[in-house]
Amino acid sequence: MYELVEYLLRGALLGITYGLLAFPVSLLFSTTGSVDVALGAYAVLAVAVAYTIGGPIGILAAILAAVFASFIVGIISLRLNRPGAVDHITAVLGTFGLAMFLESFILSVFGTNPMIRQPFETFWNLGGIRISPQTGINAAVCLVILTALFVVLRQTPFGRSMRASAANPVGASLNGIPVRQIWFATYLLGGLLAGIAGVLILYTTGADYSSAFTLTIWGFGSAIIFGMHSPLRGFAGGLMIGMVQALCAGYLPGAWATAIPFIVIFVVLSAGRMNQIAATGGRV
Amino acid sequence: MLGSIRSRLAPIAVLAILVLLITPVIAGSAFWLDNSVIVAIFSLLALSVGMAYGQAGILSMAPAAFGAIGAFATSIVTARYGVSPLIGLVLALLLPAVLAYPMARAITRLSPLPLSIATLLLSLVLELAIREGGSFTGGYIGISGIPSLWFAESIFAMHVLSWCLVVAVLVLYANLTESAIGRAVKTARHDPLRATADGVNVPALLACYFAISASVAGLAGWLYAHHLTYMGPDSLTMHVSIKIVLMAVIGGASTLLGPILGAAFLTLLTLYLPAAETQGMIFGIVLIFVLLVAPNGVFGTDWKKLLMKRATQKSAAVRTVATGEGAA
Repeated sequence: MYELVEYLLRGALLGITYGLLAFPVSLLFSTTGSVDVALGAYAVLAVAVAYTIGGPIGILAAILAAVFASFIVGIISLRLNRPGAVDHITAVLGTFGLAMFLESFILSVFGTNPMIRQPFETFWNLGGIRISPQTGINAAVCLVILTALFVVLRQTPFGRSMRASAANPVGASLNGIPVRQIWFATYLLGGLLAGIAGVLILYTTGADYSSAFTLTIWGFGSAIIFGMHSPLRGFAGGLMIGMVQALCAGYLPGAWATAIPFIVIFVVLSAGRMNQIAATGGRV
Repeated sequence: MLGSIRSRLAPIAVLAILVLLITPVIAGSAFWLDNSVIVAIFSLLALSVGMAYGQAGILSMAPAAFGAIGAFATSIVTARYGVSPLIGLVLALLLPAVLAYPMARAITRLSPLPLSIATLLLSLVLELAIREGGSFTGGYIGISGIPSLWFAESIFAMHVLSWCLVVAVLVLYANLTESAIGRAVKTARHDPLRATADGVNVPALLACYFAISASVAGLAGWLYAHHLTYMGPDSLTMHVSIKIVLMAVIGGASTLLGPILGAAFLTLLTLYLPAAETQGMIFGIVLIFVLLVAPNGVFGTDWKKLLMKRATQKSAAVRTVATGEGAA
């Protein structure tokens, strides 16, 4: 029982970063109807940059690098989704290409070594469970960001435009909302969040060049588990995925521990709400 | 009727003649024969993407994974149990389809976007399973000593066999595309609601088509295993998948010969590319570039129209701004 609590707690702390990755997935899906497969690659790029440069400058550079990468993806996706050729699958393929590019770029520039930093020597003792203070920082950062996003989405004109373009792109553009610019901003926001998540990952679990697609899958899984339409649900989904991972790692032998979370996501995917878009024949 | 058969088979005849012309030129060189077999294998894999993505609109990010299933199926039964490669062939054709159908059925209730994510999942899980498979899949070491085909021992015979298979698959594919099923798939891709109204069971049909395309990839995997006589965890990975998707997209995923052109082009290009690490960058950039310039590929693009459009781009741009948001 005690063990179980420990695994759940560790999982939840691990899942915080997935929650950060889940937010851009659900936001992008509800505003543009598309998925950015390169999301995990931004995060790994941020990990690599922050690891190489180090210090606060490194963190800043890492986030900027991720935003820059998402800037490129945004431009590409807008070009791909131009009128007469709105094909989400093509846009997904484009982000897939960029994810491959980034992965190969990270591999050739930063090498194959796993990148991780452990800034704290001492650990907190939570009822016998040793926890790095870093997880506390992670939780605090995530709470701040989520609150900020919530306020932006609910209280500012920008957030209102964003929600309007998500709910009804045609209606929004008829009301003078620059829908395409909003889409672009959504991509940038995704890069920003992925960059922050990347920095947090560097200081907790670490990553290597090949983590990009796995991170995308975790973010995506977190986003779909409770439904795509709210950032808070995505955050809860992230905690959930983290717990599933921690439980599998605790109770199952090696390979299964890695495979089961994927299979859980697959089950969620096949049972989930995303399929209900189907009712409109794929037209979101 | 005769005319439709002729127009359907014309591109295949062109390919057959090309292969016949090239064969005597490269027959003396083991290096080029080897590359020719590789091109044929990747043509099959790219055709599998062409079927799923070009025809049915299902983007599979795991053609190499389905190929790997076929390759490992035949490797395990032939190298471990000494069974005939023909039994291996049956397994290589069946297993990917058996796996792909329920997967597509569970996911694509009409929406292809989640399915492409699911294929990504499959790819990750499969790579993991191969690595952790222990003695069954050979783990990190892989399976070596896969017997070459007794009916195609020499590299030249392998060249002939693999291109015969490509032509055979193309003929079947062309027939399927022109048949009622092929037309139903096209309708289902462009307007699922309309297809349903026409009495097509869209999810079952698309899943079936996806399974057939996986089967073609499995065939390629069978050839791959018996050609290289080695299968390892790094043989057919996700990096190979992107290459295959890129092949199909470059040549024109919805056309018959496009994937083959792409396969030949990229395989030959790879010969002259630097280290494997940087290949992903080049392939990624080329993929994005092709998607931006000619998303339908070399054979699928109406070049005349495209060039005309470029000439009148300014007036088009004005219209784009006017209608852009509406179409969004």
